[in-house]
Amino acid sequence: MQVSKKIVVLGHFGVGKTSLIRRFVEDSFSDNYKVSIGVHITKKVVEVSPEEEVSLILWDLEGTDDLTTIRDAYLLGTHGVVFVFDVTRPSTFQALNADLDIVRSKISKTPLLVVGNKVDLVLKEDLETLFTKNNIETNFLTSAKTGNAVNDLFLHLAKLLH
Amino acid sequence: MVEKDKVELLRDILFTDDRVFAEKIADRIKIIEKTVNEKDQLSEKVDPIITQRLNEFIADIPKTLGPTITLTLKEEIRKNKDDIVDALYPILGKMIKKYISQEMKILSEKINQKLSASRWKIKFKSWFTGVKEEEIILSELESASIEQVLLIERGSGILAASYTKSETIDEDMISGMLTAIKGFVEDAFGQKNQNLELIEYELYNIHLQSFVSYYVAVVISGNYSISAKDKVQDLIFDFYDDFMGKNLDSLFASEKESDKKIMDRETLEKELLVKFENASI
Repeated sequence: MQVSKKIVVLGHFGVGKTSLIRRFVEDSFSDNYKVSIGVHITKKVVEVSPEEEVSLILWDLEGTDDLTTIRDAYLLGTHGVVFVFDVTRPSTFQALNADLDIVRSKISKTPLLVVGNKVDLVLKEDLETLFTKNNIETNFLTSAKTGNAVNDLFLHLAKLLH
Repeated sequence: MVEKDKVELLRDILFTDDRVFAEKIADRIKIIEKTVNEKDQLSEKVDPIITQRLNEFIADIPKTLGPTITLTLKEEIRKNKDDIVDALYPILGKMIKKYISQEMKILSEKINQKLSASRWKIKFKSWFTGVKEEEIILSELESASIEQVLLIERGSGILAASYTKSETIDEDMISGMLTAIKGFVEDAFGQKNQNLELIEYELYNIHLQSFVSYYVAVVISGNYSISAKDKVQDLIFDFYDDFMGKNLDSLFASEKESDKKIMDRETLEKELLVKFENASI
């Protein structure tokens, strides 16, 4: 049996949302940064058990520093949210909790995963200090470049939603 | 032993190694001279190196010379527009002429088929409606046809069911993108309770009919006239009426919450096939 679920991936500019999705769907990575405009939709079917599959319809929303400007139309009927920030750029996580409040006010009662991306560029010890200092809690620490924890993230979400 | 022989013997003892070494060097020089001076020999040694360098150069052309070539071409085109038009004009002219003659041939064949098949029907229709016979024939030749139907959940853009005449790219992604476009347009104009109804896409029209929980997208090829639109809407309303009617029946038939399920995709797709496969619009 297969069910379809709409997943919205959002966050600030250049945090690696598109790269995360590309790594998950195509298992590829490119250093060439291209700004996403509007929304791009891709799909991947994930097996959550021998007889059950979840078709994840991934909505890759354009990055924005002001999350209040995200179009409500893109968030309608969302089953799961992935909020991505860049662990190397403090500007993308300094106001993380306030950003998450804005997202939750727009889509309440929807599972939300917080993801720190580009972990290949920082030391693990530095990360822990950084998160404690900024009072940040994450669900996954990923690297679209190396593929670290990317599949785990989406598989976890699929299991959460099916 | 004379004095001279003694000197020779002494030279042999002292310089034998050096002489052999000198002879070897002389031999090597001869081989190198031969290799350099004889074309075939030289080419045997040098050709692979040149080929390798040439291949590297060719592979690097897009990177090294690409921007310069593009810039030069742009500059040349800008400077010599008339010359380029003169050069391309006959080629384009021939292509257009060939295309038109091909299309005319197809049109003529279609008209002949139409005339032989339903001449009296067209005459009668023309007499009855007052529209010229040739106009009726042309409008019937370009008649619209349903290519694809998608039943999509509003908001989420999740595809509930689909019917398609030919293979297209992933329908789940089409449904998502249509929903995103629809949502963007409706949001952008800030008008509540207004819906995007039509997307024109060169040879195709995508008719979007919105309901409360779902919307139906119908992809139409050919001349999408007002009467075709009217027929498409009737078909959609018919389907939706049946679909929602059956859904409501199944929802209210069971008392247990767990039994209240909406129609599955397979059943819905059968319904779509029945309604839209042979529908003429």
